[in-house]
Amino acid sequence: MFLRRAAPALAKRAVFRPAVTRSFAVSVRRWEAKADPKIGEDSKLLQPLDSIKSEHDLLPPGAAPGTIPTDLEQATGLERLEILGKMQGVDIFDMRPLDASRKGTLEDPIIVKSFGDEQFAGCTGYPADSHVVIWLGMSRDRPIERCPECGSVYKLEYVGPQEDPHGHDHGHDIHHDSDGAHNYEGEPQTMADFVKPEYR
Amino acid sequence: MSNLNRSIFQGHPFHLVSPSPWPLFTCISLLTLTTSAVSGMHGFESAGYWIPSALILVISSMFLWFRDVISEGTYIGNHTLAVQKGLNMGVALFIVSEALFFLAIFWAYFHSALSPTVELGAQWPPIGIEAINAFELPLLNTVLLLASGVTITYSHHSLIQGNRNGALYGAIFTLVLALVFTGFQGVEYSVSSFTLTDGAYGSCFYFGTGFHGLHVIIGTIFIGVGFWRMLAYHLTENHHLGLESSILYWHFVDVVWLFLFLSVYYWGS
Repeated sequence: MFLRRAAPALAKRAVFRPAVTRSFAVSVRRWEAKADPKIGEDSKLLQPLDSIKSEHDLLPPGAAPGTIPTDLEQATGLERLEILGKMQGVDIFDMRPLDASRKGTLEDPIIVKSFGDEQFAGCTGYPADSHVVIWLGMSRDRPIERCPECGSVYKLEYVGPQEDPHGHDHGHDIHHDSDGAHNYEGEPQTMADFVKPEYR
Repeated sequence: MSNLNRSIFQGHPFHLVSPSPWPLFTCISLLTLTTSAVSGMHGFESAGYWIPSALILVISSMFLWFRDVISEGTYIGNHTLAVQKGLNMGVALFIVSEALFFLAIFWAYFHSALSPTVELGAQWPPIGIEAINAFELPLLNTVLLLASGVTITYSHHSLIQGNRNGALYGAIFTLVLALVFTGFQGVEYSVSSFTLTDGAYGSCFYFGTGFHGLHVIIGTIFIGVGFWRMLAYHLTENHHLGLESSILYWHFVDVVWLFLFLSVYYWGS
């Protein structure tokens, strides 16, 4: 009974061509063969960050005519640097807040990295947000600052370019004759100068 | 990346804009446009020359300013992810402000329509007004706008998938549908039996549909710019905030039309 009904149904079905004549697994393999870069392989467009030495290195190769460009093919400048960094696991713009897992001390200050000669950092105490933001200004001359509210100590760590060997004394505020503790000759001394000069 | 190389580039992702003359130009142009429009509305003779000149000034300022923004974003690479986020937020806030603008227009409409005064015959549409049949041109225009929403989505997803032809054709069809919509609204305006100065009905009708029509024209230009930027290879599959903003704006205009269709054309007739 079942067969008698099923046989014509099967015969009818056989007339139709299957929608997909090959299995999907085959098409995946064909796509893999065409894929550039190969799966698990880095794109040729991915410049290693160490090779980027100037803005010129951030000029994109560009896409082929008639195609939609990808970011890696067309992004330029800072946008490209950010994308290249993200693809290589480097956070180009370190926007994380300062270390607030402890209170900084003179022996073990909270490090504040800076590309410039001066840097402001906002202290909210330990634990974080235990007092209003107090802005502390640090410079390369005087890298250590102490929060007047909670006493947490911050220290600037300069990570910018080293001194330009060709440029001498054109408006730069680093004085080579300074003792590392005073910005200018005759600057008022503080208690630290007498009690713990190394804390200046 | 060594710190030495890193220090060549700015340490933060934000775009600190460089000095530009366009904000000042735009201010002066807008002031010229408002004063000449107001003088025109008060019947000053030379306003007929001032208004078009001021409009040309405003459009030129916008053109030159946006040209600089495109240079900074596409050719210099100032639009990092953080900048894109800020621009996106700006567009969203702009659309919220537009929504409130239309809320005020609908408020004015419902103020008159929900409790029509005795001068209007205590009915809506007011006595003697021949309202437009919602199921003639307005229904067709609804279909056109909804279809343009489909084609612009097709264009957007084609762009994301790297299908250049699909992206361009989707945008072309959207632009054609938008222009046909504007044309039909023009037809409707030219054959309607009431005018802007008839009274409450005409004022509310042209206030709402007129500003909607203006937004359709702006949206068409916005999508047109997105189309040109796809054609000129500005937009990548991932970074195309200008086009995305125009799409967002277009959908907003679409939704306003649906409210207009329901409350002004259908319920209001």
